[in-house]
This record gives sequence, structure tokens and C-alpha cells, in this order.
Amino acid sequence: MSQVESMLGAKILTPIRRGIEAAVAGPATGVRFLSVARRATATSAAKPGTETSPDIDVEEKLKEAFARGWSIIVWNDPVNLMDYVVYVFKAVLKMNEQDASRHMWEVHQKGKSVVGRETREKSELIVHRLRSFGLNATMEQA
Amino acid sequence: MTSEQFAPGQWRLSFNQPEADFLINVLARLGRHYQEDVSRMPPALRAYWQGTITRGEIAGKDDLKESQEVLAEARSELRGERLALVENWLRDYELSEERDPWKVEITTAERDDFVAMLNDRRMLIAAELGVTELDMEADLSQIANEARRTGILEIDVLGHFILVMLGPQIYRP
Repeated sequence: MSQVESMLGAKILTPIRRGIEAAVAGPATGVRFLSVARRATATSAAKPGTETSPDIDVEEKLKEAFARGWSIIVWNDPVNLMDYVVYVFKAVLKMNEQDASRHMWEVHQKGKSVVGRETREKSELIVHRLRSFGLNATMEQA
Repeated sequence: MTSEQFAPGQWRLSFNQPEADFLINVLARLGRHYQEDVSRMPPALRAYWQGTITRGEIAGKDDLKESQEVLAEARSELRGERLALVENWLRDYELSEERDPWKVEITTAERDDFVAMLNDRRMLIAAELGVTELDMEADLSQIANEARRTGILEIDVLGHFILVMLGPQIYRP
């Protein structure tokens, strides 16, 4: 395997053909980290004179947590490039390079990977974003 | 084709004349495609643009039906956005005084849109031709059908362009 081939590594299912193996040497993008939304914890006591209701806040947060029952799934396909898929996972899902690569390999080897679990609305948005990059993404109720 | 980062979030792409000609041809085809009526497209392309929200059973699940509609609408809007992007690129080429090499300076966000658009073309060719894993692994000279051979070559060349822009991404400890 040539250096270019190993660098291209490079796709979900097929290697770049030799005829178009011009030197590819783009800079690696910086590592970004998965942004995990912190669930706000309800304050135990509202300040006097404010209308904050901690009970309602807790209830809403619990509802939100239970609503995150939709899995986002990315499926294997014969055309998308491995490096491209990793890039999209980093860009759309804010995964770090290691997690993005792990999910990409799972797609490649097992045919699919669950890349997130969200509320229905947020899952719809993420499926659309992944599909806008050409990835075969769907959602399922977990 | 080359791609270099000349400032934070700023990229300079450079295409020689044959690469620019190829790219302009691809963009022109994409532009025409984005304007086509989805309902008149072949089933595979129609399916690509409508999108599939789930592989599970959708019948009887109102929330999933609604999600499917949301996705189809969002993908319809995306085609309009991509058309505007194509027109910008073609206009830039038309106005450029130097075309060998043709140099384009773009932001990271614009680069994301551009690679996604080029990948659209790859996916559309694959959908239209029913490209399989075997096709992608085959020696091009062994593919007898000329349209299929040309299509797969275009998928490969555009893949190469994308990789030049993104650089290696896979984590290798």
C-alpha cells in the first residue's frame, strides 16, 4: 500500500484508484470534543421575590431526559469515503477524532452505528444535517 | 488541485486548467439537477432527495410520519441553498482573470458546504447507476458499460478532490 493509499485509507468500501492518486496532503483538522449538554440542576431554593419554580424546572428536565429516546443511526454505503465520514461526525456531532473514527469503523464493519440519542426534534435535525452531507442517517425510537 | 490554510478558518484552493474544467462541468450538472422537479426524477434520485427518516415501520406512527415530512421539506430547501452555492462558484469562475491555475479563497464553513455539494454529485451518480461495493472495488477497465465506467471514475475523482480539501481525518494512535 502506497503512502497515499494508506493516507487515503480512505473510504467506507473502496480504495481510490491509482490513476487519481495525486499527492494528497491536506492539514489535519484540530481535535474537537463532544459537547455534552449539561443538564441544569434545579436550584434547591428560589430567591425571595423571584418567580422561579424549582419543582417545575426539575419536572421539565426530567421530561427532557426521558424524551431523549430517539437513536440516530448511520448506515454503511458503498460510496462515502472513510475520512469524509469521520470529518462529518466531527463537524455535525462535535465528536473528537477518536470517537468519530470509532463510529466510522463501526459503520464500516457492522453496517451501522448509533451515533447519538436525542429528543425527536433534535434527532430530526441531526438526521437532516448528516443527510445534507450525504450520509445515510435515520432515527429510531430506542 | 491543492488546498492550503493561509489563515485561521481560511483556505486557498488551486485548480489547474483540466481540474477547473472538470469542476465547472460538475457544478453545471449539479446546478441543473438542483433545479429539476423531484417528482419527475427517477425513483432512486427521488428517494435520495426525499430522504428516509427511519428503516423501521412507519405506518401507524404519526410522529414518524411528521418527522418524514419535516425531513423531506428540509431537503427540498437544501436543494435551493445548494443551487445558490453552485451559482456563486460559477460566477466566481466567470469573473476570474486567471484560470490556470484557478485560485479560490474560502472559509471553513464554505469549504464544508463545497465538499458536501461535491459529495451530492458522488451520491447522485451512485444512486442513478445503482453503484455497488463491487463496482467501487472493480478495476475500471473491467467495467464494460461506458456510462457506468465514466460515472464511477467521476465518483473517484470527486472523492479525491474532497480528500485534498479535508486531509486525513481518521484517528491513528
